[in-house]
Amino acid sequence: MNLDLPLVFAGLMGLAMLMYVVLDGYDLGVGMLMPAADASEQELMVASIGPFWDANETWLVLGVGLLLVAFPVAHGIVLGALYLPVAAMLIGLMLRGVAFEFRIKAEGWHRELWNGLFWFGSFLASFAQGFMLGRYITGFQPGFGYTLFALLVGASLCGGYVLLGATWLILKTQGVLQAKALGWARWGLAWVALAVALVSLATPVVSQSVQAKWFDFPRTLALMLLPLATLAAGWWVWASTGRLKRAEPQPDWVPFAAAVAIFAIAFAGLAYSLFPFVVIDRMTIWEAAAHPSALRFMLIGVVIVLPLLVAYTAFAYRVFRGKARAGLYQ
Amino acid sequence: METPEVLLLARAQFGLNIGFHILFPSLTIALGWILLYFRIRYARSGDPAWLATYKLWTKVFALSFAMGVVTGITMSFQFGTNWPGFMQKVGNIAGPLLAYEVLTAFFLEATFLGIMLFGMNRVPGWVHIFASAMVALGTTLSAFWILALNSWMQTPAGQVVQGGQIIAGDWWQVLFNPSFPFRFTHMLLASGLTASFVVAGLSAWRLLRAGDDASARVTLRTGLVLAAVLAPLQALVGDQHGLNTLEHQPAKIAAIEAIWKTERSVPLVLLAIPDEDGRRNEFAIEIPRAASLLLRHDADAELKGIDAFAPDTAPVVPVFFAFRAMVGIGMLMLVVAWWGAWATRRGRLPPRWMLWTLSGFTFSGWLATLCGWLVTEIGRQPWLVTGILKTADAVGGASGAQLGASLTGYVITYIAMFLAYMVVLTHLAGKGAHA
Repeated sequence: MNLDLPLVFAGLMGLAMLMYVVLDGYDLGVGMLMPAADASEQELMVASIGPFWDANETWLVLGVGLLLVAFPVAHGIVLGALYLPVAAMLIGLMLRGVAFEFRIKAEGWHRELWNGLFWFGSFLASFAQGFMLGRYITGFQPGFGYTLFALLVGASLCGGYVLLGATWLILKTQGVLQAKALGWARWGLAWVALAVALVSLATPVVSQSVQAKWFDFPRTLALMLLPLATLAAGWWVWASTGRLKRAEPQPDWVPFAAAVAIFAIAFAGLAYSLFPFVVIDRMTIWEAAAHPSALRFMLIGVVIVLPLLVAYTAFAYRVFRGKARAGLYQ
Repeated sequence: METPEVLLLARAQFGLNIGFHILFPSLTIALGWILLYFRIRYARSGDPAWLATYKLWTKVFALSFAMGVVTGITMSFQFGTNWPGFMQKVGNIAGPLLAYEVLTAFFLEATFLGIMLFGMNRVPGWVHIFASAMVALGTTLSAFWILALNSWMQTPAGQVVQGGQIIAGDWWQVLFNPSFPFRFTHMLLASGLTASFVVAGLSAWRLLRAGDDASARVTLRTGLVLAAVLAPLQALVGDQHGLNTLEHQPAKIAAIEAIWKTERSVPLVLLAIPDEDGRRNEFAIEIPRAASLLLRHDADAELKGIDAFAPDTAPVVPVFFAFRAMVGIGMLMLVVAWWGAWATRRGRLPPRWMLWTLSGFTFSGWLATLCGWLVTEIGRQPWLVTGILKTADAVGGASGAQLGASLTGYVITYIAMFLAYMVVLTHLAGKGAHA
């Protein structure tokens, strides 16, 4: 078997990261929306993500695990350069993870405190992830401008997660809360547009190789499909939430699907721009790859486990399909 | 190589994280199986009391599991941020083992946990039991991979050097390296004891608060019987693990027993204050020739001392004391478990002072487990991977200031998390199970 193993693992890692961003994105988004809802709505919001958040975060472990395992040298460079935002993200993820459990058991002001920490943790983790994305695509260059840029990407990724969270709530709730979520989704959409624009503008400016790839006629024309598709998906979110607002017939999963489409297209664009680098302009996936013996051993596991994983994940989502109900532990 | 401060901070941070993390898996690995037992008892009897018991302990499990997940994610990042040299040197072996843990264990437990916690009314009974079994299996599989990796780092086997890289020649040998069977069994039993004492201790707490409670009586008995069975097994396995260590990591045994010089007829040091600079023991209480007898089954046998391994020796003081604390706590646990099992025979309710004792022993398993890990992790220093990579050569990436700042953040977060965990746990246990 003559497989390009680094390429296979780069694909798997990308897939894991995209799964993470979409899946944990919606539950982080729901966490950030908590302060905008009243107490009974908060119960429903939490119930809508309760069975899933744990498994969603596992995709992050898989994504960073594959980076660690398949591209060990790049892992050291990337995580070394992102040391503090990684620590901030981890503290955020810890706070929200335990706050989720604690708030169910708490009463009165205790519950308010945990709600607050759940919101804060969700926000901190999302912001840190966006900040890391901003640093990563600018090649970790020092300087005020780059830091400011990373902060902007951090803020706009929060908006992106809010979009995912709001559209998830449109799917999982009804009535007043769903109506609120329709409004939140449109705010999130504005932010995600900013995020996509920022990242798209920055990569060719920062990197010669990205620039060369983008402005290489006639390939540029084919590439134009990506921004057009993003625009279409954005319009799809806008139109479908509009129809739901006006109570016109419209399946409630459509806004979420459209939001996922935005993330998937943006991700495809990013992957196309960066490829074959794992650290932009510094290290390709083949330079960073682990020994073939290690990659082969892992591939066996991936081939066996991944279908099972997809099957039981699908099963879990099927079990909890339909609108969320309050009273999680009952 | 980085400055000593960076090494110290990196170790402090990783040690804090891994020490905090291990508390929760060591509880949930066995608690998962105990929950499955409760769930099956409910399925067979249809008795709502078993259901209430199951639900109460599910909450304890979920809380502990979440603590384990979030601190575990932190660790997966710290491998890279604190020890880049580790992955560069042995990443071709350590990486796949970690990846297999994520693939086979993390997703299994995290996904089925959702169904186990929230899906009881949404799936048929057997599917729910299956989900509970998958959660228990997932936590145990997770321990399998992590213990395989840790054991390989202690007693490497199956690796070859190819083109300057260390790769696995034989994965089977890597997984089932010499210390793995002992370490894995030792850890599973440690988890069994930790969980059974938590179950017994929190049930005793409930009985103290409520006077009497049928569900708490049953779980008290379950925890005590389990502990009474596992404690002597653990003593046996621990002894075998020690002999295995003598064979493969004699330097660690020298540190554990504070044997400074290689000689024949070595006494067993029960207690002493080891003097690292003077390379001798102060105020030693010894049994003549007992160490030779115990470790070699021959009172005149020679044992290698710390001098035989210089300069690559571990600090003696922490290893020596942590080992004695582990054994001491373990013995106390055995006595308490047997005593408690006797006192609860045929449905008897133990006297209040005994319930207080049991409550006091709730987290004894944690203490013993932490001491055990301190022994094995400090005892292999200065090696990170025995004979292959030194800890000092693996550190790097972050500056002292970054490490210090993030360490402060972690310490504050962990203290807050731990306090909240304890408050909620005592609160849950005090309220007891409600049908």
